[in-house]
This record gives sequence, structure tokens and C-alpha cells, in this order.
Amino acid sequence: MSVSQETGWGRTNFALSQSAHPQSIAQLGELVSSHSNSRGALAHGLRRSYGDSSLNSGGLSIGLENIAAINISPDTRIATVGAGASIRSLEHKARELNLFPPVVPGTGFVTIGGAIAADIHGKSHHATGTFSACVERIQLLLASGELVNIFPTGPSAPQFWATVGGLGLTGIITEADIRLRSIASPFVQVEETREPDLAHLLSALKSADAEFEHTVAWIDLSGDFCGRGIVGKGNYETREYQARNKESGGVGFPSIGKYSLINSATVRAFNELWFRKPLASGKKSLNAFMHPLDGVQNWNRMYGNSGFFQYQFVVPDGNEDFIENVLGVMKDAGVASFLGVLKRFGQESPAYLSFPKPGWTLAIDVPHGVANLEAIFNSLDEELCRREGRVYLIKDARIRPEHIPVMYPQLEQWRKVRKEMDPNNMWQSDQSRRLKLC
Amino acid sequence: MLNGFKSPQTIALIGSTSEIGEAILKHLPLENLSTCYLAARNPQPSLQGLPPTTIFVPINFEATDTPSHEDFVQKLFSHGDLDLAIIAIGVLGNDANLSAEENALLAMQVNYVASSYVMHLIAKKMVAQGHGRILVLSSFAQTRPRNDNFAYGSTKAGLDFMARGLNEKLRGTGVSVCVLRPGFVRTRMTQGMDEAPFTVNPDDVGKVAASLIASKHSVGYTPSILKPLALIFSLLPPAVFRKISER
Repeated sequence: MSVSQETGWGRTNFALSQSAHPQSIAQLGELVSSHSNSRGALAHGLRRSYGDSSLNSGGLSIGLENIAAINISPDTRIATVGAGASIRSLEHKARELNLFPPVVPGTGFVTIGGAIAADIHGKSHHATGTFSACVERIQLLLASGELVNIFPTGPSAPQFWATVGGLGLTGIITEADIRLRSIASPFVQVEETREPDLAHLLSALKSADAEFEHTVAWIDLSGDFCGRGIVGKGNYETREYQARNKESGGVGFPSIGKYSLINSATVRAFNELWFRKPLASGKKSLNAFMHPLDGVQNWNRMYGNSGFFQYQFVVPDGNEDFIENVLGVMKDAGVASFLGVLKRFGQESPAYLSFPKPGWTLAIDVPHGVANLEAIFNSLDEELCRREGRVYLIKDARIRPEHIPVMYPQLEQWRKVRKEMDPNNMWQSDQSRRLKLC
Repeated sequence: MLNGFKSPQTIALIGSTSEIGEAILKHLPLENLSTCYLAARNPQPSLQGLPPTTIFVPINFEATDTPSHEDFVQKLFSHGDLDLAIIAIGVLGNDANLSAEENALLAMQVNYVASSYVMHLIAKKMVAQGHGRILVLSSFAQTRPRNDNFAYGSTKAGLDFMARGLNEKLRGTGVSVCVLRPGFVRTRMTQGMDEAPFTVNPDDVGKVAASLIASKHSVGYTPSILKPLALIFSLLPPAVFRKISER
């Protein structure tokens, strides 16, 4: 074990913790059984959570990159995957068998353990639900050292749904069975439309959901913030094609120290070009369509050492004016962002702390350093509470704890189940302490 | 826990009846504040000017009762992590009811012993939680002994030295200590005394203290002119310094 400083993807929260990287589940079990620090332990994956969900100051931080085996049964289409394996590596193996995970996030650099602990969603949420919809079994290491299998139905269902979206606070996910779907080829048939304002963007997204399994909109967060953007839609290619090129790992973004490339001029120029770019149409590789951000590794360095926040929220239908309010607030605050993603959610998952619920979700990257940003976020959170909306905890770095029970009304049930699973509070994170989750 | 803005969620103000301490609190980023410990001999139940959602926890603190300090520090961590501790206790050592020797002893006990000991105890607990920041109120008087306040100055010099030394020791732990060296500040404690050049108000100290806490620096002065003056004062020949300090 060694002491190391870690940070979330947004590079705004830091933690100094003991770090361990067990080679096997047996070694992981020994590590947990012998751990007695009052700051507890927490497993982490590829640290794509933005704030402090994967950090554990003063405690033990366990990397699961060595617990990453993937075995796929072509007959049952079930993949048994080690928690430390990435979605990207699962996709790679699955594609060889013309299979694919039905739900994937915007980056492939998320582990299976992380995908379950955050109950991640993708462009297909309106059609497929969250990641947990394709999880058939979770193997979980409890604080007692016992390794248990939990399932979405039956006697272990409460533990299962507390673990899904449970931010790693019920135990260490070591392995999961993931149900894959068949694909004819590793391609998607894509269509894009350019929309001049928010009303058109919302309407285009809504109508696209009926025809396409994957829908998402890029929204221009610069200039007059009118809500113009591009709607991207896609369905799996039904014809058989062979993939010609090997997928690239993407170019790396260098460290630029304290400097940031994000300012209103650069963002406005980029957004103008992006809005005017030729619209995609036809066949596109699954990887490029599903994970557009993976083309540039470490893109979070673009914001310099001070980092950035991602504000992702969901509001129920009928609250479209809230999205307009947010755009207005961002404009008044002088926020310029090249990443604004709008999507319509489908049904809510049974997980107690799952983020998606029917309505609209908007994700905005905001550079640290915008004047009064903390007060602006808090004020938006209050409005969000009044509208029965919520923020995404895996993206959170700053929400106030009193908002959590309002945004997540099943918090108390989750706490009850969690307490039964971890009576001595072994599993902790900086976020769980900050938000008083446990 | 600090949030992504580095705004503290839990703060302890030790010496909560100090006007300077109160001014510091008001200049801190308070959007994330949840709990504020107010520690003093007779602590006030709450403070004006802080967010209405703040939970105030008054704790009785007797600076000269060293054996009670460990229990006292334990209480500062009873609601979870402590993000920021402000040590703002101090006496000038000019109580007319006490002899010069008794005043010196009291200043040593409060300014040096109690402040240093509590700082050590808090730092130890913060190291266990892997993060934390401590602000210690030192004084410009620690720069060089003057015949009218050397006892006070010596206690602040000792505390200042201890705080900077502890800060060095804490490197790599996620915990840090910073010292603020104000000049003459208009407070109840200095009421009736002749004002020195570059006198400031508690609010001025509060602003500088808040930015020092947010920075990575370990030493700050208020007003800032005192920083170069401290260097000049420490280099002056004794006769010249004596002449200046007597004016």
C-alpha cells in the first residue's frame, strides 16, 4: 500500500488516501478483512466521476484494475465481467461475437463496477433504461468479508437495488453478469438535424425518440444562448459489414498547467464551427457514435489546473422553462461552455438512488473560476428541488446535503438497506461524508 | 468536507468572542457552510451574518485549563470532518489587576501554550481525516522585541514559530497551517491604546485572512506594507530600532 493524492475527473476535489491494488478477489477479501481504519475503504475504477464520489480522504482507496476478466457465453449472450474491466474492453470483446452492451455511456472509459455504482445511462435511455436494466447478477464483497451474489428480483433485490446507483457504499462490486444484445455489424445508421432554438431542439428530440434507439442533442452554450443545437439520432445498422479499421485509443491532451483553453472567445468560435459543421448521415462506427469524447484522452486538462464542474440535472416534463432559465443564468454569469448535452429520459430505474427519471436532462461543463458560480449552482438546486428535479450525484462536487433527501426521495430506504449491509460503516467516500449519505 | 470550490463545510472558531475571528468568518466562502463551532470562555450561541442554515455549536473553552483541551478538541470532530480551524485566542498582557510577571505568565499560557497545544491536537485529528487547514493569529509584534510589549511579542513569536514548524512537519499529509501577522487592530482589546501607524480594522484582517486560507501560502500580513517593514525592522541596528519604536 502507498499514500497517493487522487482527484475526480473535474479536478476540483482532491484526496490523500492509502492506495491498494489487489491482484485477485481473494486478495481483495484479505485486504478488506484486515482493514480497520475509521475512515473506511472505497473501491474505485477509472475515476471518471467528476467530483468526490470516488475519493476517500484519510481512508483506503482500492483500485480494481486487476479484477477485469471478461467471459462471454455466445449462447446465452451473458458476459461475466470483472468489476475493473472497462465498458470499452467489454464492447471490444462483445463486438467480436456481434454482441454489444445495450446501455453504454458517453465514454468507454468507465468500469463495470463504476457503471453499476452510478447506474449510468446513455443515448438509449428512453428505449433501454439505465445500465442496471442489463445487469442480471452482481457479485458483492460485503464489509464482513463475505462474497455474495445479489439479483434484481427475489430475496436479495433490496441489496441489489441499493448497490445499483449506490456509489460503492454498500460493498465492493467484484463481478457482474451483463446481458448483451445482438448486432449485425459494429456500425450505427446516423442522422443529424440542425435546430435554430431551444423550442425546436426539444421538439426534434421528442419526436426522434419514437424512431431511434439512440438520441441526444448538443446545445450551443455561447453567444445568445438561444438553445440552438444539433440533434444526433442513430439505430444499430441492420446490414452486415466488416469493420475495416482498428479503433484508435484517441490522441492525448497534454497538461497545460494553470492555463485554461476555455474562454468565451475560444468557446464561441468552436461552437459556431460545430453548429455549422456538415451534418452526419449514414453509417458511422459504434465507437465514434457512442463515445465521441474518447477521441481526445485527458480532455479534462483543457480547463487547466483549476478544473471544471459538470452540472447535470433532470427536470420532469412540463418544466422546459427551467432549461431556458438555466441558459439565461449561464449567459448572465458569463459562462461559456463547449459541452452542453440535452437528452430526454425514459422510465425510472427501481434503484433507490438512480439519477434518471422521466423528463429532460441537461449536462453543462462549467470552468471553475466563474464569479459567484457556487451561489448560482445552489440557487439552481433550490429551484430544481421545487420542480422535483435532481442533480446527478456521480457528476456532483458541490451540492448542499439538505437537497439530497428532496431530490432523492428514496434516500431513507436506501440508508436502511445500506445500514443492514454495512452496519459498521466500512464503505465511505468524501462525497458520502460531505452529503451525509450514510 | 470541503466541496469542489474548496468552501468549508465545518469551521471551528476558537476565540469566538474575538472581533477579528468573527470578521474572518464573514469573509470566508460560506455557501457550503453547515456547522460552525464557537469556542470561548462564555461562547455566544450564534453569530450574525452567517447563512441561516448554519448549525452553531457553542463549546466552552478555558485556555488556561490545559488538561481539558484534549476533550475540547474531541468535541470539534463530533459532527464529522473539521475543514477549517481558526485559532484566535489571545491576551495583550496588560491587565491592570495583575503584576507584570503575572501578565507575562497569562500571555504565555493563553497565547503560546494553549494556542500551540490546541493547534497540535487539531492537526493530529485532521491528519487522520487526510485534510484540513488551520489559521493561527500571530502578530506583527513577533517581528522584534520592543520594550513596551515584548512579553506579548515573545508569546506570538513562539506561536508563530511553532505554527510554521508544524506546517513543515505536516507536508504531504493534506493538512496545513498558516499564520497571519496583523499590525495594530482597532478592537475592544486595544481600546484606549495609542494607535500605531498602519492601524487596521477587524474587517481588513478578515479579508486578508480569508484569502490566506484559500491560498497555498503559509504566512500573511495585514496591512501588506508590514511584510517589507518586518524585513527592514529585523535588519535595523538596535539603536535605530529603539528610536523608531519609542516614537
